[in-house]
Amino acid sequence: VKFIRRVLLVLSIAGSVAGVLRLRGKGGVPTQTGGWQEVTPQR
Amino acid sequence: MARSNDVGIVGSGLVGTRVAAILVARGISVRMASHTRATDLLDCGTVVLCHGGLHAALATTFLTSDIHVVSTSDSMPDVLAMLDLDERAASHGSVLVPGAACMPGLSGLLVAHASRAFDDVEEAHLSVHGTGGPACARNHHEALAGTSVGWHDGEWLQRPAGSGRELCWFPDPVGPRDCYRFGTAEPVLLQRMLPGLRRITARVSATRRDRLTARLPMMSPPHAEGGMGGLRVELRGIRHGARHDEIVGIADRLATVAGAVAAETVSVLLTESVQPGVRVLGADGLPNADLLDAVLANGISLHRYVGH
Repeated sequence: VKFIRRVLLVLSIAGSVAGVLRLRGKGGVPTQTGGWQEVTPQR
Repeated sequence: MARSNDVGIVGSGLVGTRVAAILVARGISVRMASHTRATDLLDCGTVVLCHGGLHAALATTFLTSDIHVVSTSDSMPDVLAMLDLDERAASHGSVLVPGAACMPGLSGLLVAHASRAFDDVEEAHLSVHGTGGPACARNHHEALAGTSVGWHDGEWLQRPAGSGRELCWFPDPVGPRDCYRFGTAEPVLLQRMLPGLRRITARVSATRRDRLTARLPMMSPPHAEGGMGGLRVELRGIRHGARHDEIVGIADRLATVAGAVAAETVSVLLTESVQPGVRVLGADGLPNADLLDAVLANGISLHRYVGH
């Protein structure tokens, strides 16, 4: 029972930290548009 | 020996037949021979080496007979051996163009093209996906088992081939592929072409099975022709005082690309005055912009990555 409590405690702390990072993290905005475009070489 | 205006082609695989098709369509007389009968072509003015296996020894034979040579080999030791033939080619008034295929080959032309968008190019990162014919597939297999070279801040780095995974996005329909370091002479050619580059890497796409079996004999015979391949060239540097990236690439069958590059290189040797010696595609001494235009005129589409 003691072991299970510790595991649950660790999991809840990890979940809380992940939640904070997920909500308050500053990961920036990944590229939303663009892609490959066919081009003709310009002299 | 009386010299004819014929173009000799050694090897009649996928690349050889495509070189022949392009040249014949322009009214150029072509003669083909297997590599065991290559000496039948000693009366030609220009010879294209398209056979599997090493090209350096045969290139030496043709150069000493005052014949221009275009090689489609992408084997690292073979290309490096041909780079050492500069004096011999120059002394015989001949031109040797090693690595006139996809990578090396079109890759050098694309680097030369994209580098014009920079004030200072600092890094070149190239990757290739796919194979041409069976000989190309065997080279791909062997190139994942040896040692790769890369240029890093003024030093040559040797790393095991098959390491350094990077997800590279090729033009559609190839898309994203995991690419790894491999044994290729491309970094050496690029460093000669643009000595100011600080970092040069070259990678090839591979599956887990490719990497696992790279040091074993090929488990199954290679396909007659690989599927759709791709080439991706990423340059990083400075433009107008700010960091700038340029990414260009193509998606096509690699044997078609190699055939077009080799055939257009032959056309240049036939029509323009090129200084004797070893000439690398993309480097000084060849009309690289005209060559790229001519290669693309064979139905190969150039793509540029644009992101926001």
